[in-house]
Amino acid sequence: MMAKPDLLELPETELSEALDLPWIVVVHNDPVNLMSYVSMVFRRVFGWSRERSEQHMMEVHTKGRSVVWSGALEKAELYVQQLHAFLLLATLEKTSH
Amino acid sequence: MNFEISKRGNPLFVRIHPFLAEMIKSVAEDPWEEYPEGSARLLPPPGTDEELLTDWSDHVQPDLRRRFDDDRSQVAQDIGTMKPGRGKLPVCSLEIPIDHVDAWLTTLNALRLAIVTEHGFGEEELAHKTSPDLSTLHGIALLKLNFFAFLQECLIQGLESRESESGDQDSD
Repeated sequence: MMAKPDLLELPETELSEALDLPWIVVVHNDPVNLMSYVSMVFRRVFGWSRERSEQHMMEVHTKGRSVVWSGALEKAELYVQQLHAFLLLATLEKTSH
Repeated sequence: MNFEISKRGNPLFVRIHPFLAEMIKSVAEDPWEEYPEGSARLLPPPGTDEELLTDWSDHVQPDLRRRFDDDRSQVAQDIGTMKPGRGKLPVCSLEIPIDHVDAWLTTLNALRLAIVTEHGFGEEELAHKTSPDLSTLHGIALLKLNFFAFLQECLIQGLESRESESGDQDSD
């Protein structure tokens, strides 16, 4: 007698792959936050240099958003929480590929 | 009002006019009470993922709210030390310990965000392209907003002068 194919196997694999996809932390533009403040927060949260912090701050200001980190969900959540503690508008997004 | 760095290396506001001293006192206002609609901006969602949203509202947002309240209490304590001067015009001075500056920055930012959301200020007004009409609450709110931004700029300057004294600690 032939064994029945394990129909659950494929969805489980897809789910596993989906969980492995990195998450990104995005900071969105907010006309209220001062540019110097946003740059200071980036230095504080990510430990970046002044130059790198200002590049991302300018990207937020001119393009409306900047991806500031990507990686595992747990750490991404921690970063968003820290950014929210400084009242920056930050979200978590799952990368599509 | 002038901004200086004190001998102890703390941000120091001196010769604060009584009118501005009253505005500084209002920094300790509870944005959730004063700006019930505007305060919604202070705890934004972290995205659209349902599970994440639930986790955020159950655990993260209450924790952030507590931290904002603690920061505001710290600010209120500092404001309590504001020294009134003598003379015809009782100007004040306010020294802010450097390790309280984060609490001040967060509290000022929270108030500014709540005010902007509550009063619906547009980009034109925020970019100083229009003069505030000080006969309206809207105009006075804009004046407050700009004054709080000035305080933030001074405090950031205070932090940066401390950083440059202790050497650049960047770890890029």
